[in-house]
Amino acid sequence: MENTFIAKNPSVLWFLAALGLFTIGVTLMSEAAGVGLISTSFVKTLGKTLCLCLIAIAMDVVWGYCGILSLGHFAFFGIGGYAIGMWLMYARTEGIVLDSLASQVIPPTPQEVTDAIGNQIFGVVGSSEFPVIWAFADSLFLQLLMVVLVPGLLALVFGWLAFRSRVTGVYLSILTQAMTLALSLYLFQNDSGLRGNNGLSGLQNIPGFEAVPQATVSLVFFLVSAAALAAGYLFFAWVVSGKMGSVVQGIRDNEARVRFLGYHVESYKLFIFTITAVVSGIAGALYYPQAGIINPGEIAPIASIYLAVWVAIGGRGRLYGAVIGAAFVSLLSSWFTGGGAPDIPLGFYTIQWTDWWLVLLGFSFVVVTLFFPKGIGGLFDKLVRKSA
Amino acid sequence: MSMLLEVSGVTVSFDGFRAINNLSINFAEAELRAIIGPNGAGKTTFMDIVTGKTKPDEGKVIWGDKNLSLLGMSESQIAMEGIGRKFQKPTVFEAQTVRQNLAMALKTPRGPFAVLMHKKTAKNGARIEEIAEEIGLLDSLTVTAGVLSHGQKQWLEIGMLLAQDPRLLLVDEPAAGMTVEEREKTTDILKRAAKTRAVVVVEHDMAFVRRLDCKVTVLHEGSVLAEGSLDHVTADQTVIDVYLGRGHA
Repeated sequence: MENTFIAKNPSVLWFLAALGLFTIGVTLMSEAAGVGLISTSFVKTLGKTLCLCLIAIAMDVVWGYCGILSLGHFAFFGIGGYAIGMWLMYARTEGIVLDSLASQVIPPTPQEVTDAIGNQIFGVVGSSEFPVIWAFADSLFLQLLMVVLVPGLLALVFGWLAFRSRVTGVYLSILTQAMTLALSLYLFQNDSGLRGNNGLSGLQNIPGFEAVPQATVSLVFFLVSAAALAAGYLFFAWVVSGKMGSVVQGIRDNEARVRFLGYHVESYKLFIFTITAVVSGIAGALYYPQAGIINPGEIAPIASIYLAVWVAIGGRGRLYGAVIGAAFVSLLSSWFTGGGAPDIPLGFYTIQWTDWWLVLLGFSFVVVTLFFPKGIGGLFDKLVRKSA
Repeated sequence: MSMLLEVSGVTVSFDGFRAINNLSINFAEAELRAIIGPNGAGKTTFMDIVTGKTKPDEGKVIWGDKNLSLLGMSESQIAMEGIGRKFQKPTVFEAQTVRQNLAMALKTPRGPFAVLMHKKTAKNGARIEEIAEEIGLLDSLTVTAGVLSHGQKQWLEIGMLLAQDPRLLLVDEPAAGMTVEEREKTTDILKRAAKTRAVVVVEHDMAFVRRLDCKVTVLHEGSVLAEGSLDHVTADQTVIDVYLGRGHA
């Protein structure tokens, strides 16, 4: 079956080959395992980009294939990041606290250790108590489960409420924006239990691997991100092929027709919404240890809008389009906003790209929407047609 | 005689306007029926009620041998009970091939997980080809539905209904925009389908209805005005008034 699936979807094989080559190339040029042409910080940037590509293909499945313009998928991404961040922060602080208490004559009681960790983590928001949601923070396994379960359950409940009321189109988009805004505002509060606007930090330090240099850590995360992207790509390519793909794209093109064919459209939307939310959570859990910090600003509504922009520029309804869009735009964005692009002095005014990049992005979005509705990925169609 | 579908005393109002007014109408197994009537007679609303799109204010819609009430069932449940619907405008999935369109309609399990794990079988493939042959699209199975002609799209949609294997087929203006030959072919398809199931055709075009050669129900202002053979109803004075002499009322 696997063979026929690949045979019918040659683009999957092409994508995996390209991703494999890219991964090998970066590894060989990294500081940790290669000649050191690529700096550790750039390896991190590339690793993060792969995670953004992963959430972009999830977005493409929910929007490009199923027609649900969700403007809230970054909420799931952020939740995944917070879930893994809680363990990273807890375990690392625990290590530090135990070290500092080890010199005491009387060994500390478990309560003292917990209090000290709580003080370290929550001192910044004037508290030392562990909130209930940190109950599993000491267990990597349980927090990893949270990475999948919390976004999945949130999407399930939210989607069930929205889809059963037949909320569609722009109303659904607004609803998803409201969801991510509400979550972000909630997390900004100091008593949300997740350190308010400070967010979770020091996530790049992996507990138990303190001795391992960051160059190696980042390369490992890069490789894991690449593997996750490959797995996610295969999974989604399989979901949107075959009969499931027919039904899902049918819902996008004519929901009523699918319903009168006897399909329970709401279940399909819920299924797609939920699996893409779970994958977004996984992408976030891989992203934030590479970013080192997560705060509520990450799940501000604008983040989810960017996600839609990436997918639109890359080309909706084709998974590789989403990957191209996310990689291209996010790398370009960090080049422009990171001071990579030289300012343009016009005499009376100097164009500083840190400010003007967003204008450029907005402009390109308009151009792509008007003139290249199939995005960058659509150019591949023309290539294929020419060679055929 | 046991009825396949019994609609009795159904009323629907939209903002005070009674689109359907105390409508009662019955359909037997394996019958071909045409519903005619002027614009706004409630033909499409009647279909909406039967397929679950619109909920009536009062009245009963009873289906099948087990006398199920269709009110309160969702569109997809009603479709699975065996009522297929063809829309006025041809609605096929234009981005997908004829084969994919038919495969989606084929009577197979409809749950997301069953569909996700769905495997093609030779039996289903044969059934798709059989239907494609019936609607004259056997050579176009791999063609994207969007490039079909208007008439072919209408046939594809009828084919999708046949693939659902419904006991009642509701067809809204199948001949609209068709050439004379296309109409003849459509008539044949519908007549053959009506041998094994009930087919209800809503139509404006009298010549097409005449060709169907079946029992006719005339709707007017949301209720049944006359019923019988086409010659019988067209001889009816009230029908003539409604269709020709609007000034009388």
